[in-house]
Amino acid sequence: MFYFIAKRTIISFFIMLAATTLMYFLTISSGDPFEDLGETSGPEKAATIAARTAAMNLDVPPIPRYFLWLQDVGHCLVPGGISCTLGQDRTGADVLPQLQNAMGSTLRLVVVATVLALVLGVVVGIVTAIRQYSTFDYSVTFVSFLLFSLPLFWLSTLLKQYLAIDLNTWLSNPQFSYLTIALIGVVAGVIWAVVVGGDRRRRLMVFGVAAAATALALYLLLVTRWFVNPGFGVVGMLVSAAGIAVLWTALLAGFRRRRVLNAALAAGAVSFAGYLVSIPLLTDPTWLVVVALVIVMAVVSYVVAGAVGGPFRAQAAKIGAVIAVSVSLLILLDRLLQAYPTLSAKAGGRPIPTTGSQSANLAGTFWEINLDYALHLILPTIALTLISFATYTRYTRASQLDVMNQDYIRTARAKGLSERTVLVKHAFRNAMIPITTLMAFDFAGVLGGAVITEQVFGWNGMGKMFVDGIATVDPGPVMAFFLVVGTAAVLFNMLADIAYAFLDPRITLS
Amino acid sequence: MGSHTSEIITDDQAPEHEGPILAVENLGVEFNVDDEWVMAAENVSFEIHPGEILAVVGESGSGKSMSSMALLGLLPRNGRSTGSAKMLGKELIGAPQSMLRRVRGNEIAMIFQEPMTALNPVLTVGEQIREAIEQHTELSPAQAKKRAIELLRMVEIPEAERRYDSFPHQFSGGQRQRAMIAIALANDPMLLIADEPTTALDVTVQAEVLDLLRKLNKRLNSGVLLITHDMGVVADLADHVVVMEKGRVVEAAPTAQLFAAPREDYTRQLLGAVPHLGSKVGGVLADVEVVDGRLSIHEEYAERLQTDREHRSAAGVVPALELIDVDIEYPGRFRQPAFKAVNGVSLTINPGEVMGLVGESGSGKSTIARAVTGLIRTAAGSVTIGGTDITRLSARQLLPLRKKFAIVFQDPAASLNPRLSIGDSIGEPLLLHEKLGRAALDERVASLLDDVQLPVAFRNRYPHELSGGQRQRVGIARALSLQPDLLVADEPTSALDVSVQAKVLELLQELQRERGFACLFVSHDLAVVELLASHIAVLNKGTLVEQGSTEQILKYPRDAYTRRLLAAAPVPDPKEQSLRREQRSALLAMGAGE
Amino acid sequence: MSDKKFEPNDSRASSERSELTLLSQDTDIATAPPTREQTDRIRTTAAKSQGRLIRERFFRHKGALAGIALLALIFLLAFTSIGFAGIPGWWNKDYDVLAARFNEGKPTLTLWPFSLGEHPFGQDVLGRDYFALTMRGTQTSLIIAFIVGIVAMLIGTTVGALAGYFRGWTEAFLMRITDVVITIPTVVIAAAVAGIVAKAGIIPFAVFLGIVTWTGLARLVRGEFLSLREKEFVESAKSVGASSFRIIFRHILPNTVGVIIVSTTLAISGAILLETALSYLGLGVTAPDTSLGKAINDNRSALTVRPWLFLWPGAFIIGIALAVNFIGDGLRDAFDPKQTRVKQ
Repeated sequence: MFYFIAKRTIISFFIMLAATTLMYFLTISSGDPFEDLGETSGPEKAATIAARTAAMNLDVPPIPRYFLWLQDVGHCLVPGGISCTLGQDRTGADVLPQLQNAMGSTLRLVVVATVLALVLGVVVGIVTAIRQYSTFDYSVTFVSFLLFSLPLFWLSTLLKQYLAIDLNTWLSNPQFSYLTIALIGVVAGVIWAVVVGGDRRRRLMVFGVAAAATALALYLLLVTRWFVNPGFGVVGMLVSAAGIAVLWTALLAGFRRRRVLNAALAAGAVSFAGYLVSIPLLTDPTWLVVVALVIVMAVVSYVVAGAVGGPFRAQAAKIGAVIAVSVSLLILLDRLLQAYPTLSAKAGGRPIPTTGSQSANLAGTFWEINLDYALHLILPTIALTLISFATYTRYTRASQLDVMNQDYIRTARAKGLSERTVLVKHAFRNAMIPITTLMAFDFAGVLGGAVITEQVFGWNGMGKMFVDGIATVDPGPVMAFFLVVGTAAVLFNMLADIAYAFLDPRITLS
Repeated sequence: MGSHTSEIITDDQAPEHEGPILAVENLGVEFNVDDEWVMAAENVSFEIHPGEILAVVGESGSGKSMSSMALLGLLPRNGRSTGSAKMLGKELIGAPQSMLRRVRGNEIAMIFQEPMTALNPVLTVGEQIREAIEQHTELSPAQAKKRAIELLRMVEIPEAERRYDSFPHQFSGGQRQRAMIAIALANDPMLLIADEPTTALDVTVQAEVLDLLRKLNKRLNSGVLLITHDMGVVADLADHVVVMEKGRVVEAAPTAQLFAAPREDYTRQLLGAVPHLGSKVGGVLADVEVVDGRLSIHEEYAERLQTDREHRSAAGVVPALELIDVDIEYPGRFRQPAFKAVNGVSLTINPGEVMGLVGESGSGKSTIARAVTGLIRTAAGSVTIGGTDITRLSARQLLPLRKKFAIVFQDPAASLNPRLSIGDSIGEPLLLHEKLGRAALDERVASLLDDVQLPVAFRNRYPHELSGGQRQRVGIARALSLQPDLLVADEPTSALDVSVQAKVLELLQELQRERGFACLFVSHDLAVVELLASHIAVLNKGTLVEQGSTEQILKYPRDAYTRRLLAAAPVPDPKEQSLRREQRSALLAMGAGE
Repeated sequence: MSDKKFEPNDSRASSERSELTLLSQDTDIATAPPTREQTDRIRTTAAKSQGRLIRERFFRHKGALAGIALLALIFLLAFTSIGFAGIPGWWNKDYDVLAARFNEGKPTLTLWPFSLGEHPFGQDVLGRDYFALTMRGTQTSLIIAFIVGIVAMLIGTTVGALAGYFRGWTEAFLMRITDVVITIPTVVIAAAVAGIVAKAGIIPFAVFLGIVTWTGLARLVRGEFLSLREKEFVESAKSVGASSFRIIFRHILPNTVGVIIVSTTLAISGAILLETALSYLGLGVTAPDTSLGKAINDNRSALTVRPWLFLWPGAFIIGIALAVNFIGDGLRDAFDPKQTRVKQ
């Protein structure tokens, strides 16, 4: 493992070196750095030229200039980072502080979009594979082909123009007519019926139940003005914790062993207790407190569920920890939602922002600041996620189908295992093996896509640094952008390989 | 009958009941392909009684596997089954999945052909046994683990505790099949369906696995449904035989009766096509005598044959192929040492002679075949073909020599380029070496097709339009197109059904007699080699343990490994096979005693 | 998507035969149920070539057929309406002629009763006929996409084939180059070069995009070569003394056509999107040329007032990309009747 990482780091270093060379020369030869000065004249122009020449080392020939830039990067690699600036842009300002400002928002966008696309894509992909050749499968196939074919910026612009504005208008006065509620119920019913499938009777039943439940829930949410004052409340939290416990048990263990279910419910109870206890702690916490709380809850649930699980200790404890983490995430979500009314007021009643990565000069609690981030993320994340979601579903579907036709799945069935065990334990893990490779590929794609989404949504992120740098033939910011992007791509590749070896015991890292 | 204890099976646990364990009546299996129902099996009926081993025999496409899958409702999604299969009176065909799930792995368990792919590669072997136990019992994970280890021990996996945590890829082929058997036996099933359980295994391992199955069947008094194409295995193990052809039952009889007096033509054909070890030289291991389980080997028999060998080396002709101290290595990757696949092998084939090269998987026999044809490089020693050492030659220097030797590969599906027509495939060597014009080439291809008894019209077809046997004929035609002095045949018939194998072997023999080329015939099947070869060389783990005339090797082997190999190969004759089994266990006992 | 009824069995299925083979007197070991390929042969005892089987499978794929129809329609519309390379078309307006705006430039297209009207897609701010402009953009985008696809195919196939066949240093060298290019996201590397090349014209621009997008195909082709070179038919060719050139071009390459064609179609749909993205960043096609991406970019501020200026070119982009993707899916099914390979 260590040997593998060391080896890969060295190889990656050289690949990055070659890639920076390529990138650097492409950038400096992409145009004339003084183009924008073409029309002006006089001493001002001469002064600007002189300043730019000094800042960008234009008096040095290209190849030594590249080495000067490498030297600047080298400073940052030396521990202590003496004069680590990553060079200067054309105005003579250090690049590093600009990069530090820009990096956070871009990485937030990219990571959130990748994780969401991965989770949604894998889940939908598996369901389509299980229900191969069903209406649901065909619909998802069509939708993912449509998503494959959407130009990202076009989608982003539409989202910005229509979704954001309409949503904001609706949120300022959340009302639906009865007809709309009924329609939404019908649509939800159809979706559920198609997903669950089965014979005609079963589908009709699913449709009825889902449609009624959705419409009723929507009605209650509207009546209680939930969309103005969102949150789960104590009762909602209790129900959710129990629901999460049952759901994870159904997925990971099945209900054949009563003790495992009891253990899961105990973990749900522990998590709920955690919620009650943490109410005062979470008024205005720091990330440290939040992470610590999640860990404490997970550990306590692990221990308690393990104890209740008795002979099924190992399995029960794991499920307990999973439940605790899920509930923790729900608590965080609840807290963020609670911050919504104040933040919405601060935003002048139009809570979904369409430009920028965060509100300027927002002073507020931990929750308000993070909710502000999250709200800014909504639109660009939807755009980016939709596009990689398509890739993930297609690959997961293909991979899962491939696995389902393997001999060992037949063996598993011949053992009399339940369909749940066959799918979750035997098929899923094998199906995920090729997806790790895809992850590394897709991550680079999402980073590229971020350049475009940032442009559409007016983010001050790395994408802007890059685009502006290219437009002005300024290698400083372009290369800074590339250093982060390239390193992230290389890192993700390595992580994908490690994940591969982790999933597939036949592979050893060397 | 989910066992509620964690005890290992004891003899008194055997199920006690009247009548058959499984009664199959008019079972039919169909597949829906493009909205048409295609029959895979119909009117299949048989019964299995406690303690009985029933073999269902047939060639590929006889529907034997699919009818057994239908019993457990494990057909692919486009399949359906009709008729009746009652397990102790319980109907299985058309039963709901929930009921079938309780039966699977509990009352009826299955063993599959490919131990390599039938085990989940990402789960430990122990885990895969344990979950089968947990699924059908109320045992706790710890208890189930204990039982899983006991099962591993029962199927004779060494160091069961440690191996419990190993992954399938860390097991050898035979061990994987043992693990499969452990999974199948996890819940003391009343019926074990073994679908070609030893087809993917070497003969010595096959013999061990068959022994294990026989032992377990006796102890458990359960039924075994053995699905196989191998008449030797049937003779070795089965009490009753059902012969299937094209989805229908042709004949059903007790094993001894079927082998002694087959009623149906098809059965007779099938039995006739199976090569019988020792039939040509008149006996196998003739110098090994077992009296009351004690072994004596008559060394003096072998000496009579020694003169033959001396005579041969003194012949003084230029050998068609001569290997002297050949080493072959697979280069190691970074940090991994090179793997020596072949170690100091020397052998000689005179013109017109057929030499059988015999060994199990991993013995290096295919490696030698490839080195002889210049496909891989040797690390040391010399390979001399018709007087020229090819190990020192560059690719360019070797080119004209390639006319003198040719190779026929094992897998006829993989050895023809799917995008080249049959005519182009056969004509390629001619095109490369003789630079023939279109018309001349066509003529030669036509005559070659005729030589291998294929219609000339086949030259415009593509490999996927041909059956396995036809493809192998094409492979032979291609190899013989340049009239080589030496033909290397690498397991040319091991992917074929017996009846097809018989025809292909006949063709090879005929061509060899006509054209008189020398032949290095690589095979794992001693009976096949016996039919063709005048001399045999035996390989074990990269070293040549013994070589000599076919008669000497088969009747009076000198090497312990050769003896084991010979003893392990099953013959299609139940009486003879039971004698050979005794011989084998005596030999093994002697091996263990040494 | 085409084989609705047949659940593909394990990977051995295709190489093995069952009793359903009417052609043959003898069979080899098979445990699998009949495959589509086999039943194809049951129906027609006459031999079919591989190409014909592939064609038949492709034409059973409804999505692919729809894709072909849509793409053909778009092609026809774009090239006949305003003409191409000096040949006039049936549409009477030019995309670069300014005119007075008619009804605020709104589209005059009506579907029922069908009528194109004066300006079916409306007019832009300067009064230019937007139908002609969109058609012109479609032409450019199609040309760019196909050139990118072909260039990427040529480079990717060559690099992949050489790396996969020769292994050793050749492979190490070529694959490290591929790694370097893969490290840089496509949009980024394309953006860095697009600025200069785009000014040189559409064709150099397209060729350059091809030069930066071959990496995926190179990896795929290398993977195919790595597995095919170990196949017995390649050994068989070697044993009769076929040259490396012959083995690569006559034996291995024809067996990788499926992979190559499928990923080329995907590269084409990717190129359409890449071109629009670059044009959006102001780094793509420059005036006087126009492309679908440029048309959208020129009018992005008009979305609220004149949404048609934004939507029409978008619809054409989606139409082309969707059609090509469906064709690619149909080809994948046709070339590989078993499940789609997921290996990269």
